[in-house]
Amino acid sequence: MTEIPIIKVGETLIAVVREDITDEDALQFQEALNGRLERFGATGVLIDVTLVATIDSFLGRLLHEIAVGARLLGAQTVVAGMQPAVAMTLVELGLELKGVRTVLTPEKALALLAHERNNLRRKA
Amino acid sequence: MAGDDAVTFAEQRLTIEELETPVIQIWEGVLALPLVGAVDTRRAQLMNEKLLVRIVETGSEIVLVDISGVPVVDTAVSGHLLETVSAARLLGAEVIIVGLSARTAMTLVQLGQDLAGVTTRTTMARGLQLALAQLGYKVTKQDAGMLAEPS
Repeated sequence: MTEIPIIKVGETLIAVVREDITDEDALQFQEALNGRLERFGATGVLIDVTLVATIDSFLGRLLHEIAVGARLLGAQTVVAGMQPAVAMTLVELGLELKGVRTVLTPEKALALLAHERNNLRRKA
Repeated sequence: MAGDDAVTFAEQRLTIEELETPVIQIWEGVLALPLVGAVDTRRAQLMNEKLLVRIVETGSEIVLVDISGVPVVDTAVSGHLLETVSAARLLGAEVIIVGLSARTAMTLVQLGQDLAGVTTRTTMARGLQLALAQLGYKVTKQDAGMLAEPS
């Protein structure tokens, strides 16, 4: 089993999903991420999936679950760098990752998270 | 020669495929996909593949899909369009469907296909206006006296 490293930068947790991620790795990642959120209370989660060539129904559903879990722990999840073929497969599987924000690049994800954070501050 | 015919046929098919799904970058961050003619499953799939690759290549955030040239928009076609919208969203791009005619709108409503959650506009011009506004561009006209011909 290979652990997915989770880096905390400011109020954002950043994780890069590896190409050969297994179901166990993914579950371990979900648990680790929720643990970090509980402990550090980050407001944003950036998951980079640039390297991932295939997302099956398990991983697709798990990404959705991760986003919902993170929201419950007070953080917004942004998935960045999805490959076109992966997007096609997910849509064909009927897994549209509703409720998960998706952007083209990690830069855009960070910009989005910063923007949302400012919006929240203004409201608070 | 039968072999030559086969080659010509394959070439023609390739040309047609290229012609039927043009994806044009009309602004920094804005792609246009004008659809002309019937949209079947094969074509929709081809269109999606090409569009997604272009979104990544150009780093676009908005896609304007013009359906004014599609004669009949039925349940199947709207299903294909929704697939395009979902797939583009997964890459972080928003799809605006433009070129909806009154008749198309009526048909879709009658079919129970309300394209919920999809932004639509009647013309490409209005779609482009919206796209530019969303990207933070402001389009203003220069002093009318300076233009030789009124537009």
